[in-house]
Amino acid sequence: MREVSIVGVGIHKYGRFEGKPFQDIGREAVIMALKDANIEWKDVQTAYCSRQRLPSSTGAKTLADLGKTGIPIVDIEAACASGAAALKHAYMAVASEFSDIALAFGVEKVPRGFMDPSFDYSQWQVHAGMSTNPSYWAMKARRHMEKYGTTELQIAKVAYKNHKNSVHNPYSMYQKAFTLEEILGSRLVCDPIRLLEICAPNEGAAAAIVCPKSMARKFTSKPIDIAAVVHQTALYAADFRVPQTSLSAKIANPGPTVVTSRKAYDEAGIGPEDLDLAEVQDTDAFCEIEIYEDLGLCEYGEGGRLIDDGVTEIGGKIPVSVSGGLISKGEPVGASHLGQIFEIVCQLRGEAGVRQVANAKVGLAQVLGAVGQCATTILKK
Amino acid sequence: MVDTKISKQPKRVPISEDLLTTPLDRLEEVRLKGTKCRSCGEVVLGKSTACQNCANQDMEAVVLGNKGKLYSYTVLRHRPPGDYKGPEPFVPFGLGLIELPDGLSVLAPLTGCDIDNLKIGMEFELLTEKLYQDEDGNDVMMFLFKPIQT
Repeated sequence: MREVSIVGVGIHKYGRFEGKPFQDIGREAVIMALKDANIEWKDVQTAYCSRQRLPSSTGAKTLADLGKTGIPIVDIEAACASGAAALKHAYMAVASEFSDIALAFGVEKVPRGFMDPSFDYSQWQVHAGMSTNPSYWAMKARRHMEKYGTTELQIAKVAYKNHKNSVHNPYSMYQKAFTLEEILGSRLVCDPIRLLEICAPNEGAAAAIVCPKSMARKFTSKPIDIAAVVHQTALYAADFRVPQTSLSAKIANPGPTVVTSRKAYDEAGIGPEDLDLAEVQDTDAFCEIEIYEDLGLCEYGEGGRLIDDGVTEIGGKIPVSVSGGLISKGEPVGASHLGQIFEIVCQLRGEAGVRQVANAKVGLAQVLGAVGQCATTILKK
Repeated sequence: MVDTKISKQPKRVPISEDLLTTPLDRLEEVRLKGTKCRSCGEVVLGKSTACQNCANQDMEAVVLGNKGKLYSYTVLRHRPPGDYKGPEPFVPFGLGLIELPDGLSVLAPLTGCDIDNLKIGMEFELLTEKLYQDEDGNDVMMFLFKPIQT
């Protein structure tokens, strides 16, 4: 297997773009990545497109206007981990010597409002009102509060930090700082989770171009290595998530973030103490606290203390969601992980401007969604 | 033929045949249905052809206990998305995981309780109620949990 590097990244701002077709949104991110890598479209040999709510052959439709070069273009879907699945396939294409230059890009246009619940839930669950995604996150939060004494204030502090970080990210849907009072005063969605503590599905795109590490310096002076890209689904009784209707009271397997991150640390030959920053699945502010623990950034039950102590702020020991996180950026589901990759590549190159984490050398990106679709990627300078 | 006028009592149907025991005439006797793995003993709500824990296919249908403790909960403050059949205008309600003695927690709407004073560990019991009337005039019956009065 060859070692693989990222030589170009691109992004289309996340948000709402009425009347702008997905082809245009996706293509802008791809063109930005091609330029970034100094690579011509005709030199790309394989492409994977991650998307969740877009039509058949979204990838081929998006890339057609760049030139019909005849390469294999495959759509990939794995809920919130879709972008990681696309990156993993591009990585495997290069690592296995199938291709020298591969593109992974994600594009999304999720309809406004709550996602159509019939995608994820049985009809009876929808009829009975058991089809609100944040209700699952909320029950995990409530359990954590009961078990470890985590507070609503600590949850609000995560949202405060991420909104504050977003102010300097031009690609974020929201770029607005909120006070703790405003966050704690925003309306409850599903107790204890509030409106300013959850992420909105939206539109956007992101792209990464990969090649063998041995060729990377032909294209860029700042290649970023893929040290690990691990995608799994949750084990039985490891997670409580859409669309589950019951949960084992006897078995508790390690959660999907634990499984993917341990495997990724192992492949990368590092531990959580070696990370300089992380971008994570903060679909709600509580999730981020749980993720600190699952990634091994602290012991179980210490996630709330980590936010109290400022450990995960920019300038802290391990900054998390420096981009503003999903809470600020929104989640264009198919593109989301590749957007995290965009942020980490910028950070490791030292090109993140005001939100730059000083001297960042190793970054981690984590996603987790419906059915326990989960991924962890580790990038190294 | 004599035209016998039958007084039209709406027929009760379960929200899903895999979830509630029948008949539905005596609601206090209705129980939740589950599936148990004959190999590892894990139990899930509803019907399952193989065990999600050990992939064994030797499964048996079981009837679940009707009393349990609140494992976790939330309150739905806004109308759920999609074709929700609950009361209009929407009334906020509790949603909880009730830990049953059968070794599983079941996700269910909560009723008959103060949504602002729910507590983990509270004791609840099963209640079967009409959720809505379907197009054929049947009462569609749903399971909920209500606090056990002490």
